[in-house]
Amino acid sequence: MKGTLHNLSLRLGQVDQRHVRVGLVVLTLVLFVLGAGAPSASGG
Amino acid sequence: MILLVAIIVGLLAGLIRAWAGGRQLASPHFRLTGLVPAAFLPQLLAFYLPSPQGLWANHSVAAGLVGSQIMLLVFAWYNRRQTGFLLLGLGLALNLWVIALNGGLMPISPDMASRLNPDIPTYAWEAGSRLGNSKDVILPIAETRFWSLSDRFFLALPAWFSYRVAFSLGDILIAAGAFWLLWAMGRQGSAARAGWVRPQLAIGSQYNRTT
Repeated sequence: MKGTLHNLSLRLGQVDQRHVRVGLVVLTLVLFVLGAGAPSASGG
Repeated sequence: MILLVAIIVGLLAGLIRAWAGGRQLASPHFRLTGLVPAAFLPQLLAFYLPSPQGLWANHSVAAGLVGSQIMLLVFAWYNRRQTGFLLLGLGLALNLWVIALNGGLMPISPDMASRLNPDIPTYAWEAGSRLGNSKDVILPIAETRFWSLSDRFFLALPAWFSYRVAFSLGDILIAAGAFWLLWAMGRQGSAARAGWVRPQLAIGSQYNRTT
């Protein structure tokens, strides 16, 4: 039981870490793309 | 917005690809990540946050944009081995090239500016003035250096959407690179490739139990 909980907590920790990492990658990409691009939309 | 659409579509495509293969989205490991928010900050102040017209002098905005894009180019160079970054870097380099050669802002012709804003006739645009709060500067085609790299492409969504956008060849490459990178995040075995996050360790695996 204790081992299962330990495994579960480790796995949850890794899932969270993975999600955070993917989120940071997407955020970095959004900032990069907004900074690198120069389109102009209606209204200026 | 058109570039954000590329990111949203790419992310959805990568998620569907990963889901179809029974995998999780992999995440590439970028180098010099802190450079990106630092580079974006001047652009955030000049172009994205609401500010009164004329708050920033045009030459300050131009210097900020060129400096910011040089920093982003350094980031792209350090991450050039990542999927999609050749396109991202090339698109950025083309934009930076035409921006730097035309005084620090992306040139757009009066004709294109009027297509974006049909209420304003072509002759009403003043050469050298900024187009609203955007990165664009009004320049006649004859006065534009490397006009082919400027915001010369036009896209109008159906009338009920009321959205028109002008964009450059560099913008197309940037959108394609962003899509490719996100699509690759759903690829089989992508996490195990060099430079990408290692797959999770098999905690409590059969191998561990038998040893």
